[in-house]
Amino acid sequence: MKGMTQATMSDNQPAPAASAVAQGGAPQILLEVRDLKTYYPIYGGLLRRRVGSVYAVDGVSLTINRGQTFGLVGESGCGKTTLGRTILRLEKATAGSVAMDGQDLLAMGGKELKRMRRRMQLIFQDPYASLNPRMPVSDVIGEGLLAQADAQNGWAKREVRDRRVADFLEAVGLRRDYTRRYPHEFSGGQRQRIGIARALSLNPEFVVCDEPVSALDVSIQSQILNLLSELRNEFNLTYLFIAHNLSVVQYFCERIGVMYLGKLVEVADTDDLYEHPRHPYSVALLSAIPVPDPRVRKKRLVLKGEVPSPANPPSGCRFHPRCWLRERLGNPEVCSTEDPALRDLGGGQMSACHFAEQVSVEAAQEAASRQSAIDTVAV
Amino acid sequence: MKQKMVVDDPVAGDSRLGPPSDPETLLEIRDLHTYFHVMDGTVKAVDGVTFSLKRGETLGLVGESGCGKSVTALTIMQLLDMPPGEIASGQIWFDGRDLLQLDSDDMRQVRGADIAMIFQEPMTSLNPVFTIGDQISEAIVLHQHVGKKEAWVRSIDALRSVGIPAPERRVKQYPHEMSGGIRQRVMIAMALSCNPKLLLADEPTTALDVTIQAQILELIKELQARTGAALLLITHDLAVVAETVQNVAVMYAGRIVETGTVEEVLLGPTHPYTQGLLNSIPALHKRGQELDVIKGVVPNPFRMPPGCKFEPRCPYSCDLCRTSEPELVAVPGRKSHSRCFLQTHEGAARRGDFERAAGSTVRGVMG
Repeated sequence: MKGMTQATMSDNQPAPAASAVAQGGAPQILLEVRDLKTYYPIYGGLLRRRVGSVYAVDGVSLTINRGQTFGLVGESGCGKTTLGRTILRLEKATAGSVAMDGQDLLAMGGKELKRMRRRMQLIFQDPYASLNPRMPVSDVIGEGLLAQADAQNGWAKREVRDRRVADFLEAVGLRRDYTRRYPHEFSGGQRQRIGIARALSLNPEFVVCDEPVSALDVSIQSQILNLLSELRNEFNLTYLFIAHNLSVVQYFCERIGVMYLGKLVEVADTDDLYEHPRHPYSVALLSAIPVPDPRVRKKRLVLKGEVPSPANPPSGCRFHPRCWLRERLGNPEVCSTEDPALRDLGGGQMSACHFAEQVSVEAAQEAASRQSAIDTVAV
Repeated sequence: MKQKMVVDDPVAGDSRLGPPSDPETLLEIRDLHTYFHVMDGTVKAVDGVTFSLKRGETLGLVGESGCGKSVTALTIMQLLDMPPGEIASGQIWFDGRDLLQLDSDDMRQVRGADIAMIFQEPMTSLNPVFTIGDQISEAIVLHQHVGKKEAWVRSIDALRSVGIPAPERRVKQYPHEMSGGIRQRVMIAMALSCNPKLLLADEPTTALDVTIQAQILELIKELQARTGAALLLITHDLAVVAETVQNVAVMYAGRIVETGTVEEVLLGPTHPYTQGLLNSIPALHKRGQELDVIKGVVPNPFRMPPGCKFEPRCPYSCDLCRTSEPELVAVPGRKSHSRCFLQTHEGAARRGDFERAAGSTVRGVMG
């Protein structure tokens, strides 16, 4: 990374319009998602008619400030990957709006969209599946450059492209002369670095990281996390960081959205979320994290059952059939009839629970009453 | 002392040495070597592993991918493809017998009955064309010598014991009709259906979501306590180890580099690799700071370093580490064993640096 300046890396690139604004002043909104919905059709019957929908993302609103790292957590199938891909226009949105820098992404098409794609990139989960085994690294990374080549950047020329590929290999901690090698010659961690170089070579402002470290070993995981945060500072990146590992998210992100069955159930600054979660699902999710300290045998709030199918979500609050808080409160009717809106509880913390104000107190009592609770083991 | 290591014993690994003297020892592995002969040469996946497990004891085997932890389990079960695999040397004493001396018929009696295994992938380890009742009763008929009807009833009981709702209905279903969490429960039910003395769980929760992982870990702990089976839990996740087992063995490059109780190893590691793993775990209080990393990558199996296998990545290495490999030795004043010169008189001068860093590990883990 050393010896490489922002100027050489971003040559031929128009300076990001907002980099000046990023210094000081009020935080500036980079991405605004409003009531976004992504449904997939289910076809059935003899005539293959549409018989239903999978409500993968069902009314998500969020804003991400420039330079912020926004974490998205939830169990598999909750729609977090679909949300990330819909924002990037890799999936077709059913309804809603996505605005980047005030421009509506969903209304764009053709050349306008193609220019926009340069500003938003994706880092994939599986470094073994996301690199074409038949392409040398120079093509794996250079393909995007070629697609985005224009008269200004000169990426249509092989030498220009190869030089840029080498620059970015260096930026992610690999050797410049690796350009002629093929993906199978690299380890998992190195491949993930190539995937990161590919995403960054187009000078994006916004990067969706879809589980970038979950396929990696513990010792490699920390190397990649360090790299991602170094690059964040160096290139003024804004991340949407999708993960199911809550320890990684709490370390890496400033603000976190918790998803359940296609909806955001809580959005809060990281410290607030971990210190006083305001949604019963967040409480359960946090309680499930194992900690590497044998002295802490946690009093767990183990959730019953499993995530229901997103094709047929429960009525009212989607979490109500598994909710421990509803049970404690004597099964109030409102939970099964009315879908709670994501509402602001002050201090930037938002929760979609009818009884959000009672979550903290009840969680403490619930944990204490659990039969499986094991007291802290003294060493 | 829970962990009985025989490495200090000069005759360890000698085939003339009989079964373990302590009748409480259920499993004793001595100097086990499992190799794979592939086109590019020989991969020594397990290269001199020694450990033992008492009846009812729980031991976690931790390490990164490729360190040989799964191959160790597959060697115990003798489920390796041979060739290219080869159990080159060593002994696996289980309940008074050396499993490596058994013929395949005798081994089949042990496998599934006395030693059962839970695999990582609940999606691929069940047969998609049979109902789960068929799959569970197959083992029961084979090992418990009962009729099919009786086996079917026992299958339902097994499913009930792992907390599957409506087991009478589930027993007739196929694997694709179930979620990942339920399939893993089915795997556990199948493993426990013949009351094994030893349960090998190979990354049983890695493929599962965190809330389901919590359910399955609680279930394994509860069943282990109820049945009294010994548990060998294989995982890469130190947090899972901390919550589930009493003792732990850390593997690196086909060797055990550290053993001890969970408290000792996780709160005061004596090997630089364990320390590095613990320090690299991300946590809230480290936000904004760079994470400590173990530099480099695991060594190429065809080009292993001549001395200590961790030396190229070790922040405390010295000339001695480059030329000779340390033994797994008892750490003075503790139950731990460590394969590092820092714990012997050769490395005493450098121990101060290591212990200062170890102090920060403990603080880090406590958060």
